Amino acid sequence: MDKQQEYVLRAIEERDIRFIRLWFTDVLGMLKSVAIAPAELESAFAEGIGFDGSAIEGLSRVSESDMLARPDPATFQVLPWRGDHRGTARMFCDILTPDGEPAAADSRNVLKRNLAKAADLGFSYYTHPEVEFYLFHTPESAEGPLVPVDDAGYFDHVARGTGHDFRRATIGLLESMGISVEYSHHEGGPGQNEIDLRYADALSTADNIMTFRTVVKEVALDQGIMASFMPKPLSGQPGSGMHTHLSLFEGDSNAFYDPAGQYELSNTARKFIAGMLRHSAEITAVTNQFVNSYKRLWGGGEAPSYVCWGHNNRSALIRVPMYKPGKGQSARVEYRALDSAANPYLAYAVLLAAGLKGIQEDYELPEEAEDNVWDLTDAERRALGIAPLPNNLQDALDTMERSELLAETLGESVFEVFLRNKRREWVEYRAQVTPYEIAKLLRAL
Amino acid sequence: MTRQASTSTRLIRLGFREVCRAESLLADPVVQEVAGPDGEGDLLEAVGATADPDLALLALVRILESSTPAQRAHVREVLREAGEPAQRLLAVVGASAALGDTLAAHPDDVALVTGETGPGILAEAAQDVRATLLRAVGADPDAEVPVAGSAADVERPTDAMRRAYRQQLLRIAASDLTRPDPLSTLPGVAAALADLAAAALEAALAVSRAEVADSELVRLAVFGMGKTGGRELNYISDVDVIFVAEPVLGQDGEPVVAEDRALRIATRLASGTARACSGPSREPALWEVDAALRPEGKQGPLVRTLASHVAYYERWAKTWEFQALLKARCVAGDRALGDAYLEALQPMVWTAVQREHFVEDAQAMRRRVEQHIPRKEADRQLKLGTGGLRDVEFTVQLLQLVHGRLAPGIRHRNTLAALSALAQEGFVGRADAARLGVCYRFLRLMEHRIQLYRLRRTHLVPTDERDLARLGRSMRIVPDEESDVVAELLVRWRHTRRDVRRLHEELFYRPLLPATAQLSAADASLAPEAARARLAALGYRAPDAALQHIAALTEGVSRRSAIQRQLLPVMLGWFTEGPDPDGGLLAFRTLSEEMGATPWYLKLLRDSGVAAHNLAQVLSSSRYAAEHLRRSPDAVKWLAEDGDLAPHGPEALEAEMDAVLRRRSLEDSQAAATHVRYLRRRELARTAVSDVLTHLELDITPGISWAADAALRGALRIAAAEVGAEQGYAEAPTAMLVVAMGRLGGQELGYASDADVMFVHDPVPGADPQKAQTYALAVAQRIGHLLGQTGPEPALEVDASLRPEGRNGPLARSFAAYEEYYGRWSAGWERQALLRARPVAGDDALAQRFVALIDPVRYAGGGLDDHELREFRRIKARVENERLPRGVPPNRHLKLGRGGIADVEWTVQYLQLLHAHEVPGMRTPRTLEALRSGAEAGVVSAADAELLQRAWRLGVRTRDALVLATGRTTGPKLDVLPSERRELAAAAQLLGYGPAAGGQLEEDYLRTARRARAVVERIFYGQAVPVRTAPARPGPGRR
Repeated sequence: MDKQQEYVLRAIEERDIRFIRLWFTDVLGMLKSVAIAPAELESAFAEGIGFDGSAIEGLSRVSESDMLARPDPATFQVLPWRGDHRGTARMFCDILTPDGEPAAADSRNVLKRNLAKAADLGFSYYTHPEVEFYLFHTPESAEGPLVPVDDAGYFDHVARGTGHDFRRATIGLLESMGISVEYSHHEGGPGQNEIDLRYADALSTADNIMTFRTVVKEVALDQGIMASFMPKPLSGQPGSGMHTHLSLFEGDSNAFYDPAGQYELSNTARKFIAGMLRHSAEITAVTNQFVNSYKRLWGGGEAPSYVCWGHNNRSALIRVPMYKPGKGQSARVEYRALDSAANPYLAYAVLLAAGLKGIQEDYELPEEAEDNVWDLTDAERRALGIAPLPNNLQDALDTMERSELLAETLGESVFEVFLRNKRREWVEYRAQVTPYEIAKLLRAL
Repeated sequence: MTRQASTSTRLIRLGFREVCRAESLLADPVVQEVAGPDGEGDLLEAVGATADPDLALLALVRILESSTPAQRAHVREVLREAGEPAQRLLAVVGASAALGDTLAAHPDDVALVTGETGPGILAEAAQDVRATLLRAVGADPDAEVPVAGSAADVERPTDAMRRAYRQQLLRIAASDLTRPDPLSTLPGVAAALADLAAAALEAALAVSRAEVADSELVRLAVFGMGKTGGRELNYISDVDVIFVAEPVLGQDGEPVVAEDRALRIATRLASGTARACSGPSREPALWEVDAALRPEGKQGPLVRTLASHVAYYERWAKTWEFQALLKARCVAGDRALGDAYLEALQPMVWTAVQREHFVEDAQAMRRRVEQHIPRKEADRQLKLGTGGLRDVEFTVQLLQLVHGRLAPGIRHRNTLAALSALAQEGFVGRADAARLGVCYRFLRLMEHRIQLYRLRRTHLVPTDERDLARLGRSMRIVPDEESDVVAELLVRWRHTRRDVRRLHEELFYRPLLPATAQLSAADASLAPEAARARLAALGYRAPDAALQHIAALTEGVSRRSAIQRQLLPVMLGWFTEGPDPDGGLLAFRTLSEEMGATPWYLKLLRDSGVAAHNLAQVLSSSRYAAEHLRRSPDAVKWLAEDGDLAPHGPEALEAEMDAVLRRRSLEDSQAAATHVRYLRRRELARTAVSDVLTHLELDITPGISWAADAALRGALRIAAAEVGAEQGYAEAPTAMLVVAMGRLGGQELGYASDADVMFVHDPVPGADPQKAQTYALAVAQRIGHLLGQTGPEPALEVDASLRPEGRNGPLARSFAAYEEYYGRWSAGWERQALLRARPVAGDDALAQRFVALIDPVRYAGGGLDDHELREFRRIKARVENERLPRGVPPNRHLKLGRGGIADVEWTVQYLQLLHAHEVPGMRTPRTLEALRSGAEAGVVSAADAELLQRAWRLGVRTRDALVLATGRTTGPKLDVLPSERRELAAAAQLLGYGPAAGGQLEEDYLRTARRARAVVERIFYGQAVPVRTAPARPGPGRR
C-alpha cells in the first residue's frame, strides 16, 4: 500500500467519514457514483470495486459486463456540502476490465490516451473553460414555466439575494475542494451565470468540470433553486456555452507563442487552428452532443455557427484573444462552439486530435474573418469559403460517422457506442410533437 | 645490402605501415638525440612493440619537438634505460592519439606517465584521487564541505580540475596498457575510472559551491547511476547522476532555510557542477553529465528533496527506474544525506519484482534492448544488440531484481561482483557465470581500447584494417601461425557474442531444473521458492505446475531425460515468447511422454535448433496445433529446417488416396473411411503448424480445402462400392458427381468449416431411372455418414442444404432433373449459390456437362431485374437481423457482423450476378479472385475493392487464429471477436502482431470492418450516402 492510500485511509478515520463516493463518467459525460463504506476501501485500492458495467451507457459490451472501478487516491476530497464530520468523501476512478487493463470505453482513458499521443510529439495540453449555466426557481412540475432567478420583471428583490448567496456558497465550496475559480456574472440572459475555471492541464480541467457541475447543482439544491447546464433552455435568450481556451506547451514554453508571428501566433498555433477548423464539422457531434445543442448554435446571439477564425472576432468559431504584450506564456486560442453539456473528456480529446492533425499534416490556415459573419449573406459566406457547422444532431452524426479522425481519437468502441446512442436520441426527438407545432398548426389546419 | 634497405625491412617486420614516413621521422634530429649510442635500433624495437608503431613514433617526435631541453633529457634517459617507464610512455602514445596530443601539448605530463611502475594509480585509494582533484581546485580535501579556493589561489578552477582529471587519466591509461593480463586488470581499470569521475564530480561541486551564493544553506548529494554507480566506468561515456538536496538544519534542529529556497539554491549548485564538467571552457569538457534518470526524466526538476524522491518511487516509478536505482551510489557531496537516501530507496528496488506489470515490463525492456539499434550498425555494436554488453548487464540485473528480495547477498551494484555473488548463492551455474564474466570483460576491454584511441564516446567496432590491427594488438591478442591479429580478434569477438546469447538461456533457465537433473556439479539448482519467483518473473502463470512438469521431464536416468536436460533450459525460454508458456510446457511434457521412446524424436530436437524452437513456438501459441501434434507425432518432423510444411497438392493427395484405397478391401468401409479421414487430419495438422509458424501470412490456406476435396473423393469411392454391393450392382447404374458449394466451392475452407455440397447423378443408358435415383440417394447419404459419424478421426460435416429447394428438395437429383429445374426456376438465392459451385468428385464427363448447364444460369446476361434485386437485398437484410446470435454486438461477429465475412461475400456475389457475363475473370467461385477481376474491369473501384478484401481477409484469418489459439472447433464463440483479453492477445500474436497486442487487433478489426461496411452499404444496398474513402494505411503491426 502506498503513502497516498495510507493518507486517505487515515483521513477517513480521523474525520469520521461514513461513506466514500467513487466517481466516474459515462460516455455521455454523466457523472456516475458508487458509494462504499470505509471498510471496503482497502480492497478497492488493491483490486478495484466490481460493478455491472452493462447498465452504464457505453461503458462495456454486453459480453463483458463486469468492470472494476479503482479509486485514484490523489483525487480524494471530502464533499464539503455533506458536512465535515460523519461526512462523505469522493475519489475519481479509473475504469478497468477484469484483467486490470484500462477499459477502452472509459472516457477519462480516451483523453489520457490522446494526451499520451501529444506527449509523444513533445506537447502538453492546457485548457481553460468558461462555463455558463442558468439558475431557475425550481418549477412546480416538469411542465411548469421556467422562471430565472434574477429576472427583474418578476422577482426583483428576491432575485438579488438569491444570486448573491449562491455566488458566495459556490466559490466557497469549490475553493475548499481545491478548484480555483474566477467568477463573473454573465450579462447575456436572465439568471445566466458564467464561472471561469483557472487554466490547468486538460485532464485536471475535465475532472474539475465534472466536480464543478456537481457543486453548482448541490448549492442550487441547498438554496431551493435549480441550476441547469442545458445548452439552450430559453428560446430567445442566449444559450450556455463552454468557450475553452486551448494551448500547447513544449516543456516550459508556450508552443503557440512567437513574438514575430501575426498576433504573436506561432506556426504551430496556426496549424493547430487550421486543424480544428478543417475538422470542426466532424467533431461537432462530440462538442455539441444533444439535440438541444443545435438550438444554441443556430439560435442567434453570440453563438459561433460558421467555420472561421478571427482576432477578437466574437462571431468566429475560433477566436485568437488579445493578450498583454510580453505575456507570451498566455498565448492561446479559444474554441467557442463547445457547450456546457459536453463530456469534457471526449470534447477536449477531439479538439486536441483535430489540432494535432493540423500540425502533423501541415495544414494551411485560411484567411481570417474580419467581418461579423452573421451579418454576411449566404452568398458572401460562400464566396469567402466560410462553411456552416452542422444544422442539427442528425447532420453532425452523419458527418461524424464518416470521420476517420474521430474513430481513431475515440477508439472504435466509444465511436460506435456514441453514434448508436445519439442516433437513438435523434429518433426519439423526431417523434415529438412540439408546442411550436401545436401553436402554429392545430387551429390553423 | 644497404643500410637503407635493411631499415625498411626491419620497419616492415616490426609492423610499421608507413615506412617512408617512419624513415624520415627517424632521421629527425630530436629522435637521433634520444636514440641510444648504437643508433635507433633499440628504440625501434620498443616502438615496434606498441599497438600502433606509426602512431607512437609520430607522437614521440611531436612530444620531443615541443619539449624543453630538460624535458627532452628526461625522455632520453627513460628511453635509453628501456625499462618499464619507457614501455609506459610508448604504450600510451601507441594506443591513443588523443593522449599523445595531450602529452605534446603538456610535455611536463610525461613525468606523470613515467613516474611510477606496476599498477600505479590502479592501486590507489579512491580517497587519494579525490584529494588530488580537490587540491587542484584549491579545496581542502579534509573539510566536511570542500569549497574551491578563491581566484587568488586558483586562477580558473574549472580548467584546473579538468587538467588534473586528464593527468590522472594518463596514469590510468599507462598502467592499464602495460599490465601483463589486460582481462584481469579490467575491473580495476573500470573502478579507477569511476573513482576518477567521482573525484571530478566532487571537485566540480566544490567549484560550484564557490560560485553559488548561500550554498552553505543546503546539503546536496550527488548519486552516480549506471556504470559510475557500479564502479565500472569506461574511458569515456556520459556520467549518469541524480541530485538530492535538503536544507541545512540549524542548532535548534529546524531548517535554516525554507524548502523551496533550498531547492532553488541546490538546483544552481547542481547545474554549476554539471557545467564545470561539461560546459564550455578553455580546457575541453570531460564528459556529459546526464541527469535523465531522475524522477520524471528530463521533464522533472533537476534536484528534489529526499521525501520527494521517496514519494515518486513509491507511486510513479516504472520497473526500469527501479532497475536503474539498483546502481545508485553516492559519489560526491553530503554522505550522510546519501546514506539516508539509499536507506529509504534501496528496499524498494528489492521489492519491485512484486509490483504490478513487472513481468510485462521486463519483457518489453528486453525487446527494446534488441530493437533500438540502427540496422546498419547492428553488426558493429559492442553495447546493444544480440550478445552485446547490454545483454550481459540486463541478464544480471534482472536476476538480481527477481531474487534480491530474498537473498541480500546478491545485492551488488557492480556487474561482475553481482555475477559471482549470483553463482556463489546458487542462483546461476558457476561455470556459466565464470564464462559470462570472461565474455563481459572481453567486450569491455574492446570498448576501452576503441574509446582510448581518440577518447571518443563510441561503442562501434571500427572497420578499417589499421584500426582493427591497433585494437587487436592493444588487447594483446596473439594470433596463431595461420592467422593474423585482425582475423583472430574478429573470431574471438564473434564467439563471445554467441556465448553471451547462449549463456543468457543457461543462466536463466538451467537452474530451474532440479538438482538431480543438473549436468554437472557446477550447475546451480534453485530452491523451490526461488524457482517459483523466477518462473513467475519470466511469465509463467502457474509456477508450481511448471515446476512439476520440469521435474517430470528431467528426472530419471533414461537417455530421454538426459537429452531433455540439455534441451529444456532453452525451450523454457522459448515458451515464454508465446502467449501461453504454461500450455506450451504442458504440451511438451505430454508429447515427450508419448514420443520419448521414439528414437528420432529427441534426436531431431537436440540436433536441430530450428525444430526445437519451432516446436516451442507452436506448442505455446496454438492449442489446436498442439493437439494435432500430440495425435500425429510424426508431424514433429515437419518442424525441422527442411520440414515438409508445404501443403500437399491435389494430385499428390489423390495419388496417396488411390494407393490407400487400392490396398484395402473396400468391403471394410469403416476402416477405409477412417483412413481417408486420417489423411485429412494429417493435412489439417500440417496447415495448422505452417499457419502458426508463418503467422497466417499466406493467403487463405488452400490445404484445408484440398484435404476436404480428397476426403470427398475417397468417401465417394467407398460409398459407391458399398452401396453397389448392397444393392447388387456389378456396375454402378448411374454416374455420380459431387459438386462443392459455398466456401468449399471457393476453396476457402477454414479449420472449423462444414463442407457444402450438391449431389448430381446421370443414369447409364438403359438403367431404370427409379432404381438409379435410389442408388444415388443411398450413395449421397453414405458419403455424409462415412465422413460425419463420430470416430477416432475428426469428422467433416457434409451439408447439402444449398441444393435446389433447399432442405425440402431431394438429396440427390439426376442431371435431367437439374436441367428441367434450372429451365423453369432459378430463384435469386439459387443463382447466387451456384456462383460458388465447383465439381469436386465423381464422373468427369458429367462434371463438364453440369458446368455447361449451370454457367448460363449463374452468369446470365442482364443482371438482376428490379424485383430480383429487391428480393436479394431483402434476404440479406433478414439474414443480418435473424442469424446474428443474441447478445453479440453486430460489429464483433466475424462472419455475420457488419463488415464481416458474409457482408463482403454477398457484395462480391452481387457484383458477379451483375457483371460476370461480361467480365470472364469474375466467373470464379473464389471471392478474392472475383473481386480482383471486378476491380480490374472497373465494376468496382480499386479503393473499394481494397477495403473489401482487407476486411474479408482479416475476418477469415482472425477466425482461423481463434481456432488455432483455443483449439475450439465448435460453439458460438468461434465467430466472435473475443472480448476476453487473453484470448484476444493470443489471436493477435498468431496473426503476427507483437505480444500483448490484443487491443490493437481489436481496434484494427473494428476499423477495417466499419470501413468495409460503408462500402457494402453503398454497393450492395445502393445507398447514395457519399462515403469518404479511407486513406491507405499501413497494415497491422507486423513484427
